[in-house]
Amino acid sequence: MQRRADNRAWFAVAPVVVVVAFTAIVPLMTVVNYSVQDIFDVDTRLFIGFDFYRETLRDPRFAQALLRQLAFSALVLAIEIPLGIWIARALVRNQGKSATGFLILLSVPLLVPWNVVGTIWQIYARPDIGLLGAAVTALGIPYNYASNVLSAWVTLLAMDVWHWTSLVALLSFAGLSAISPAYYQAATLDGANAWQTFRHVELPHLKAVLTIAVLLRLMDSLMIYTEPFVLTGGGPGNSTTFLSQYLTTMAVGQFDLGPAAAFSVLYFLMILLLCWLFYTSVMRGGDDG
Amino acid sequence: MASIQARDLRYTYRGATAPSVSGADLDIEDGEAHALLGASGAGKTTLLNLLAGLFFPDSGQLKLNGEDVSERSGRERNIAQVFQFPVLYPAMNVRENLAFPLRARGWRKANALARVKEVATLLDVTALLHQRVQRLSLFEKQLVAIGRALVRPDVSVVLLDEPLTAVEPSIKWRLRAALKTVQRELGLTMVYVTHDQVEALTFADRISMLMDGRILQTGSPQRLYEQPHTAVVATFIGSPGMNLVSAQVRDQWFVVAGQLLAPAPGVSDGVCQIGFRPEWAHVRVDRESDEQFALPVNLTGWRAMGAVGNRTDALLTLDHGGETLFVHQSGDEPPPPQCRLYIDTARMVAYRNGVLLARPTGNDAA
Amino acid sequence: MRSMIVQDLDLGGRQPVSHEFRRGCINVVLGRNRSGKTRLARVLSGLETSAPGTVVCSDGDVSGADARERRVALVYQAFVNYPNLTVAENIASPMRAQGLSNSEREQRVQDLSARLRIADLLQRFPHELSGGQQQRVAIARALAQDAGVLVMDEPLVNLDYKLREELEMELRALLADTDLTVIYNTSDPRDAFKLGDEVVLMAEHEIIQSGTPLEVYRNPHSLTAASLMSDPGVNVWSEEQSLRAVRPEHLTLDSERIGDIRFEVVLTGLETNGSETFVHCSYQDNEWVARLGGMRHFEMDSTLALAAASGDVLQFARMDAAREHA
Repeated sequence: MQRRADNRAWFAVAPVVVVVAFTAIVPLMTVVNYSVQDIFDVDTRLFIGFDFYRETLRDPRFAQALLRQLAFSALVLAIEIPLGIWIARALVRNQGKSATGFLILLSVPLLVPWNVVGTIWQIYARPDIGLLGAAVTALGIPYNYASNVLSAWVTLLAMDVWHWTSLVALLSFAGLSAISPAYYQAATLDGANAWQTFRHVELPHLKAVLTIAVLLRLMDSLMIYTEPFVLTGGGPGNSTTFLSQYLTTMAVGQFDLGPAAAFSVLYFLMILLLCWLFYTSVMRGGDDG
Repeated sequence: MASIQARDLRYTYRGATAPSVSGADLDIEDGEAHALLGASGAGKTTLLNLLAGLFFPDSGQLKLNGEDVSERSGRERNIAQVFQFPVLYPAMNVRENLAFPLRARGWRKANALARVKEVATLLDVTALLHQRVQRLSLFEKQLVAIGRALVRPDVSVVLLDEPLTAVEPSIKWRLRAALKTVQRELGLTMVYVTHDQVEALTFADRISMLMDGRILQTGSPQRLYEQPHTAVVATFIGSPGMNLVSAQVRDQWFVVAGQLLAPAPGVSDGVCQIGFRPEWAHVRVDRESDEQFALPVNLTGWRAMGAVGNRTDALLTLDHGGETLFVHQSGDEPPPPQCRLYIDTARMVAYRNGVLLARPTGNDAA
Repeated sequence: MRSMIVQDLDLGGRQPVSHEFRRGCINVVLGRNRSGKTRLARVLSGLETSAPGTVVCSDGDVSGADARERRVALVYQAFVNYPNLTVAENIASPMRAQGLSNSEREQRVQDLSARLRIADLLQRFPHELSGGQQQRVAIARALAQDAGVLVMDEPLVNLDYKLREELEMELRALLADTDLTVIYNTSDPRDAFKLGDEVVLMAEHEIIQSGTPLEVYRNPHSLTAASLMSDPGVNVWSEEQSLRAVRPEHLTLDSERIGDIRFEVVLTGLETNGSETFVHCSYQDNEWVARLGGMRHFEMDSTLALAAASGDVLQFARMDAAREHA
């Protein structure tokens, strides 16, 4: 059916445009403005073009933080997405009262504020008094997130998985519940095994919700700040200093507003690029779901 | 392909008070197209699921080719199914969809593709083999779904669960014709569930009509149309259903409105209903002859349903002492409000307490 | 004066649509899927106001008015009722705004529920009802509105065959003694005959023909119109630069009736419904269906002689234009 432009729709959208302009576009342009000028005081400023960008890109600490960041996000996705789907499948298979209870239980971590999550895990994983830390240490495994790089990463990942896997599970559960039983029955009669049923029935039907889940987790993990700040403060060394924390150090700690602004723009563009790449590659694959 | 024998199948859903299938007997021959006909809640889908091995009967026995399969899964029974809407693997193209049941059972790729080609030719979907399933029309999708059910040459029974419900009338004919062709050419045993009597009657060699979890009658379309065993079947089949008129049997004659209608040899005296299809009677103004039985009726409705030449095919609504009757008749114009109804007594049937009264005139061949 | 008129309404076809839906009539809009009939229903009821063109009803030009401002009731294909209200409350819900007293409202609910045979279900909730009962409630609610126009978009398509037939008959009787302008969408030509005082044929977002069902059946202006009014379509062949068509029910066996036109066809399939036989066959590479009375048996792939009376043959110019009288 043909669609016709209805210009009245613009009036309805106008308020949103205004709000977005003030909350997003204006601050963003301010940042861009900072990033291309060296400002000494209110009256003395020097246009320096892309110098700050060049400086940022050449900064070895930026490169390290970026690598850490990408590794962290990749690991988060690699663990949370399959785990979330697995939990959702288990729940769908046991439809009934227990599934509802589990869903409520699962959503609890989603309600905990970021800084509280950090604090909980900071205590929970302490090797001396924390339940988890003490237990692991008692097993004779060397563990200390404050001094051991591996321990710090494992703790951070565990914390993120604990906090966010349920989001993936909830989305997947909704997606799986929408699949007609006829598909499962057809697959059984066709002789499909469990893996084939998952691969050819469930996964294609989950495509839409999984796209949303991956996008949410990707954007969110790329911007992670509070939890590592509370848990490890970026240490030991700089081993858990991710982009946002490095940026904060630069902007608030050292008050290098110019380079920090350039950093911010690059950071923003990178998240945008990654999400766009992911989204287009998924959508080009077809419109199933 | 296989024959099906079901004996006294019973099934009650967990938590349900009444059984959904209560004592169903089925005998379906190898290569037969069989329909399970009934309204929503009649138990036909439950019965289909019992055949599919999705549920297992609480009691009773199910045999395929004489072998007891009551306890076996649908996969072990080697059953294929077509659903109400096209169930396809969304991420595969048409060829992969058709090949999947073969590949999943370990067929070599070349053999599978050769077989897919055969089935695609049969259903006339060769041109679609490389298409993604999203691009297909509803008709084509369901055709491919039917193809996937037929692709395994060793499949024992093909079950169809209201496969034409979702498509519009003009497409129903084409899909059903395609189904009939493959059914006949491959000699498939098919069980077809539907609430639509036109579909059941046109598709099946034989039909089982269900109500309240029981099979009321099994027989050929002609048998169900002409000699329905119960008044319920008589009114369900046909559109509109069979006309039923209160009558009596007196001295071995059917008596309606004080007139002798037809002999009723061997039938004891008492009340009954006589039944006739809308095209087994006609309306006239005058008396054809004084001997012939004619029922005085009032014309309450006249709807054109088509025309041949300049004669109009009409559906007449008649009132006879509070009973509404329907008659198909063609003519130039509507008859007057008061007229007489002549019934073809050779084809007429009669029911007592809702059960068919045996009449020697009836053709008993199935 | 409550007929509904549309003028130069653009539904996305090549030609805009103009038509008067007559008052006190059931106007059956017959078209295949995606012929634009659902869009027409949405435009008439005011759910969609963006289509260019004019819609006039008793209240005057209502083209820009939305659904709440028009006095149009709508019944959908899906059974739409308020799930949290009882049947009685559902039926009463449109009467709130009409300023009726409590007793008047109650009287109307009683009246409507009796006419739709749901009087004993008034205290139930929609989810406790069968599909047929739910649609009866939806129809009662539509009739409870003080509307001049009732738009029904394939209201019975989701019901069991037998139930559908029953409701069709009741609907016909129910609407016969109202003053409503009824617009009834369907894709089934039988509905046009069973229900329609007028039939409006739609194809490719245009109205291609309208009239009484019998007029349209006898004198289709185009091949599309001809096949819309038959189930299954019409049988086509070409002869002398023109297209000819004959309806399945107008074909007979040559041996049984003297038709003046004879066809040698090859049998490809047989179906029966207990009283009729549908002969699937091919004629000049066209797929045909003949609808013969009685139960017939023929050998598959055999040649069969069919006949038709020339008066029943439809003739169209090659470009599917107006019918020249055969």
